[in-house]
Amino acid sequence: MKIKLQSIMVDDQEKALRFYTEVLGFQTKHDIPAGDYRWITVVAPDGHPDVELALEPNVNPAGRTFQKAMFDQEIPYTAFEVDDMAAEVARLTAHDVVFTTQPTDAGPVTIAVFADTCGNLIQLYQPK
Amino acid sequence: MPRLDPDLLRRLCAARDLLEQWDEPLPVEEIARRVVISPFHFIRRFDQVFGSTPNRYRVQHRIRRAKELLASGDLSVTQTCFAVGFESLGSFSALFKRCVGTTPSQYRRERRLLVQVPGLPPTTLIPGCLTLMACLPRDAFRSSGEAHA
Repeated sequence: MKIKLQSIMVDDQEKALRFYTEVLGFQTKHDIPAGDYRWITVVAPDGHPDVELALEPNVNPAGRTFQKAMFDQEIPYTAFEVDDMAAEVARLTAHDVVFTTQPTDAGPVTIAVFADTCGNLIQLYQPK
Repeated sequence: MPRLDPDLLRRLCAARDLLEQWDEPLPVEEIARRVVISPFHFIRRFDQVFGSTPNRYRVQHRIRRAKELLASGDLSVTQTCFAVGFESLGSFSALFKRCVGTTPSQYRRERRLLVQVPGLPPTTLIPGCLTLMACLPRDAFRSSGEAHA
């Protein structure tokens, strides 16, 4: 048993693919038509090449309720590790990404939180 | 520096909820006024956080809800049109076709043919990633593994 696939719900797969590749810098691994939707996964160029993030269409009303509640409570949906928090925040800020939490000392890590424009808050963390 | 303080985020979420109400649709300027953000900053901030302008977000939300109603098959196209806040069937149909690629009646006809389980949303509305996997070519995962072997 392996952890190879993680997914995140997005309100619009096309918009999400643009954001997760052009802004965050991930690379498209799969983009295959699947009925009304698409099977889209991305990988991190400087992460483990075999771990994929699926951009899952958030069409189920129950999923949207959950996603919205998490967002409204300012709870990040997932977290990505970075090596250089200041550089990443500067790079994303230049892309007009908005941070709801600026880089903050949180014990063993530095964290920051931004909106992914697809209905989620995402936490960045840099281990100390 | 595009930083959002928690108070501004809460106001944008409140605006999003107002945009999702269609029984009494408010002009964007009125929504901006209610959440106490200038219209210019409201449109810009909303786009930065939710990835759409407020008007576009409202349209997308209505079309999404219309798809749910049409797929469930409980309402006619005309009833769906009014249920999601449109006043003209013509503009609803044209907008739906532009966003979805088929007319509302075509969408309703095709989606209603899918197996429906009473008490659960229509299957077309449950495209979890695990079920999407079943639609992929047989070698989708094999080729992915080999690429990194």
